[in-house]
Amino acid sequence: METTDLSHHISSRFNEDLEAVRANLLKMGGLVEDQLRKSLVSLGDADSALAGEVVRDDEKVNRMEVAIDEECLRILATRAPTAGDLRLIVAIIKALTDLERIGDEARKIAHIALRLAALERPADRYREIKHLGRLVEGMVHGALDAFARMDVEAALRVPQHDRHVDEEYESIQRQCVTFMMEDPRQIRRMLDITWAGRALERVGDHAKNIAEYVVYMVHGQDIRHTRLEEVETRIRARAESRES
Amino acid sequence: MPRQPFALTLRMWGFAAARLLAALTVGFVVGLAADRVFLGLFVTLLLYVGWQLLNLFRLDHWLRHRSLMDPPMLGGIWDDVVTQVVRIHRRKRYHKQRLATVLRELRDSTAALPDGVVVLNAHGEIAWFNRMAAPMLGLRGRRDIGIRIDNLIRQPEFVRYLAAAEFSVPMLLQTGATQETWLSLHVLPYGEGQRMLLVRDVTRAIRLETMRKDFVANASHELRSPLTVITGYLETLATDPGLDPALAPPLAEMRRQADRMAAIIGDLLVLSRLEAKDSQVDGESVDVVAMLALLRKEVLARPQHPAQVTLTIDTQDRLMGDEVEIHSAFANLVDNAAKYTPVEGSVAMRWSRDDDGVHFSVADTGPGIPADAIPRLTERFYRVDAGRSRATGGSGLGLAIVKHVLQRHGATLEIASTEGRGSTFTCHFPPRRVVAANGHS
Repeated sequence: METTDLSHHISSRFNEDLEAVRANLLKMGGLVEDQLRKSLVSLGDADSALAGEVVRDDEKVNRMEVAIDEECLRILATRAPTAGDLRLIVAIIKALTDLERIGDEARKIAHIALRLAALERPADRYREIKHLGRLVEGMVHGALDAFARMDVEAALRVPQHDRHVDEEYESIQRQCVTFMMEDPRQIRRMLDITWAGRALERVGDHAKNIAEYVVYMVHGQDIRHTRLEEVETRIRARAESRES
Repeated sequence: MPRQPFALTLRMWGFAAARLLAALTVGFVVGLAADRVFLGLFVTLLLYVGWQLLNLFRLDHWLRHRSLMDPPMLGGIWDDVVTQVVRIHRRKRYHKQRLATVLRELRDSTAALPDGVVVLNAHGEIAWFNRMAAPMLGLRGRRDIGIRIDNLIRQPEFVRYLAAAEFSVPMLLQTGATQETWLSLHVLPYGEGQRMLLVRDVTRAIRLETMRKDFVANASHELRSPLTVITGYLETLATDPGLDPALAPPLAEMRRQADRMAAIIGDLLVLSRLEAKDSQVDGESVDVVAMLALLRKEVLARPQHPAQVTLTIDTQDRLMGDEVEIHSAFANLVDNAAKYTPVEGSVAMRWSRDDDGVHFSVADTGPGIPADAIPRLTERFYRVDAGRSRATGGSGLGLAIVKHVLQRHGATLEIASTEGRGSTFTCHFPPRRVVAANGHS
C-alpha cells in the first residue's frame, strides 16, 4: 500500500511545515470532537452552563480554521507542492471546511440544549438522540483517526455507518411526529429534537466526507458520489496491481 | 584470533619492503643485461602494482560478500589486514547481540507491566508502546509507530498538557464511547527530549472517590433536618417557665452540643461543595482590606477576646477569587487565632504584597503547635490535643476548608509555630491572583 511518506523531502523546513499543518488540523479535530461531545452531554443532562460553553468555544474552532487555511495557502504559494504533497494540502483544506461545519452543528445542538434545559426532561432523557450522537461521534473519531494514520481501510469503514445514522434519524423523526400528534403542546420541543437529530445527521455526512479525503490523499482516487462496493473493488484492484 | 605482537607486524612489513627491494634488484639486473635499465625497472614496478591491485580487488570482493565467503589467503601484509577486519567485525557482532538481548529483556519486562507505557521521541512521535497501552489509548499495532501521539489522542486537555510541558503531576482523561473510562496519563521526560507516557486505568478509584464524596454530602444533608427539630424543642424547653431548675444546666449543655453538631454539619457541607467544584475558580475582584477590617471588628465584639488585635495593611491590592470562599478561609484563620490566644495575648493580622504575590498572615501568642503536628493540621477532624480543642468548640474542619479554598485559588498555606510562644498562619497567593489597586490608597 502506498503511504504518503512525509520524510522524503530534501528541505526539512517543508517537511516540518506539512507535518505542522496536519497536526494543527487534527488538533482542531480534537477540539471539534470535544465540542460535539459536550453539546450532546449538555442536551442529555439539561446542563445550560455547558451548552453556553460550547456556544462560546465555537469561536475558537473558527479561529483555528482561519489560521490553518492561511497556513495551507502559504505552503501552496511558497512551496508549490506536487503529487502526494499537493493532495495532502488539498485534503487538509477540504477537511477543514467539514470540521468547521461539524463545529457549527455542535453549536446548533448546544443552542437547542439551552432552549430545552428550561423545559422538563422527558422520561427517556433523549435516549434516541444520545444513541444517534454516539454513532456520529464514532464516525467523526474514526474519520480523524484514519486521517492521522493515512489508513484507507479504516476510512472506508466510516461511510458504512452512514446508513445506520440515516435509519436512526428516520426513526427519531417518526417518533417525534407520533408524539406531536398525541400531544400538540409538545410540538415545540419535538421540533427542537428533530433539529438536533438533523444536525447530527449532517455531522455524519461531514465525517463521511473527511473519510473520503483520506482515500483521495493516499490513493489519489476521487470516490465522491460513488457506490461503496465499487470504491472497494477499485481500490483493492489498485493495491493488488501495485503489489504484483 | 589472538592479537599479533607488534614485533611480528614490524617484521612482516620489513619482509614486504625487502620483497619489493628484491624485485627491483632483479629488474635492475635484467635491465642492465638487456641494456634497458629503465624499462626493466618500469616493468618490475608495473607487475608489483598489478599484484597489489589484484589483492586489493580480492579484499574488496570479500568485504562485500563477507557473509558468504571465507577470508581470502592473500599472503604477506594483506593477511594481516584481513585478520584485523575479521577481528573488528567479530567484536562488533558480539556487542550488537549483547545489546539486542538487553534491549529485548527490557522491552519484555515493560510489556508485562500492568500499566500502559508509550515511548515518545523528541517530536512527540510514538517510538514504542507496550501491550497494555494499545487497548487503553486505542493504538493499533506497528502501524501507529511514528505517528504523533497528539494526532491520535486529540482531546484538547491532553494536547494542552503535552504542549505545556509541565509534567509534575499526571492528568486525568475521560475516554471510551460513553466516556465511562478514566485514565491517568503521566508524561516522564528522560534522555534528550524523549518522553515516556504512563497510562493507568483509574476508573475504579474515581468512582469510589465520587461515591465517598456523594455519601458525605448526602449524610450531612440528611442529618441536618432531625437536628433542626431537636434544637427547636431544646429551645422551647429551655424557655419553659415551669421547668425544673435542676434540668437547666443539662439542657444548656445539650443546646451547646447541638449547636456544635450543626456547625460540624455546616462545615462538612461547605467542604463537600468545595470538593464538588474542584477546579480553579476565576471569581471576581475581592476587597480584602474591607473584609479584614470587618473580621477584626467581629473578633473585638466577642465577650472574650485577646487584648490586642491589630491589622496591618501594607497594600491596597485586591484579590481575584470567590468572595464567599475567601471570607470563610480568612474567618477560619482569624477565629482560630482568637480562640487559642489568652485574653492577655495578642493577634496580629497583616495583608502585604511582594514579588511573589500577595500574602495574608495571622500571628498569635497562643500555646503554639508541636512540630510533628503541623503537617497533619489540615486533615479533617485532626486534633493536636483532644481535651483542649473540644473545650473551644471547633468543628475540626476549619483548616481543611482553608486548605481547599486556597487550593482552588492556586495559593498555599504556610504554618510556622513555636510551642509556648505562638503560631503564624500565612496564605501565599500567586501574582496572577492580584488585582493591583489603581492609585486609590
